[in-house]
Amino acid sequence: MAAVPVQQDPEDDDYSLLPLVHDIIKCMDKDSQDVHQEINKLKARIQEAREQISTMPGIDKSPEEQQQQLQTLREQVRTKSLLLQKYKSLCVFDIPKA
Amino acid sequence: MAVPSRSTKERLLSVLDDLEVLSRELIEILALSRSQKLPQPGEDTQILELLVQRDGEFQELMKVAQKQGKVHQEMQLLEKEVEKRDSDIQQLQKQLKEAEHTLATAVYQAKEKLKSIEKARKGSISSEEIIKYAHRISASNAVCAPLNWVPGDPRRPYPTDLEMRSGMLGHMSNLASNGVNGHLPGDALAAGRLPDVLTPQYPWQSSDVSMGILPPHHGNDFALEPPGHNKENEDDVEAMSTDSSSSSSDSD
Repeated sequence: MAAVPVQQDPEDDDYSLLPLVHDIIKCMDKDSQDVHQEINKLKARIQEAREQISTMPGIDKSPEEQQQQLQTLREQVRTKSLLLQKYKSLCVFDIPKA
Repeated sequence: MAVPSRSTKERLLSVLDDLEVLSRELIEILALSRSQKLPQPGEDTQILELLVQRDGEFQELMKVAQKQGKVHQEMQLLEKEVEKRDSDIQQLQKQLKEAEHTLATAVYQAKEKLKSIEKARKGSISSEEIIKYAHRISASNAVCAPLNWVPGDPRRPYPTDLEMRSGMLGHMSNLASNGVNGHLPGDALAAGRLPDVLTPQYPWQSSDVSMGILPPHHGNDFALEPPGHNKENEDDVEAMSTDSSSSSSDSD
């Protein structure tokens, strides 16, 4: 059986499921009784990932859609700030000098 | 036709499902090959490669999801800014509405005032006429006592009993009552009709006043001088005050 190339990247360890699969295969090779335990770990890890994904904010849209919405909001803020500045500094009446 | 792109959440869940299926299949194939002791020709390698590929995709998507989370926080701040500016705009709109209402009211009142001014200008009266009228209505001493009035003077700013009885109404009622009661001429005073000699001549009465007309009545050419002090009239008044049945003299 070919060896599973697993990169030991500390950032990837948070989300990668390969180490768990590797542990299962190792246990199977050793005919260890911990195979079921490792399989349960993998199942639990997958379930955790699902729950984490469902609670992550801002992923209801694709990155492109989100960027578009961000640009729209920035434009809104800019336009409304300009309007407010214009109307607050606007003097409609010519006040005659005494 | 543009295909709507799937959300990051959908892609993540899809890749996670693939990872679960692939890992299960890999474990099953390895278990089967171990139990049957038959080598599977490259199938496990293919599954393994797919598993590695999916795992890589999953990690990339999770990085994208983290970045989207940060962008989401920025968007929430921007939304708060937009709300604040919307609130400011609404406040300005409300103030503008109030100013418009105030100005509209002021303009309306100014227009009404201008109309009144124009109306007054059209019906203007000279000050001389107003002063003449003031003299006219004041000459009967209705607004101010005569200069020689003292307590005990029977003269009043309103017609007294004697004056009423010596007027037209008094004559009319006397005519009606004479026909019924048959008063003797000697009772004329009691009946309220004064003989000409005893008709009081008050200083405020002008020469135009006739017997049957209630004082004061002035023509257009009235005298502008205030009524003067007349000793003869004063004597008449003193005489009348002793004979008058009017209770008004005791009122002071």
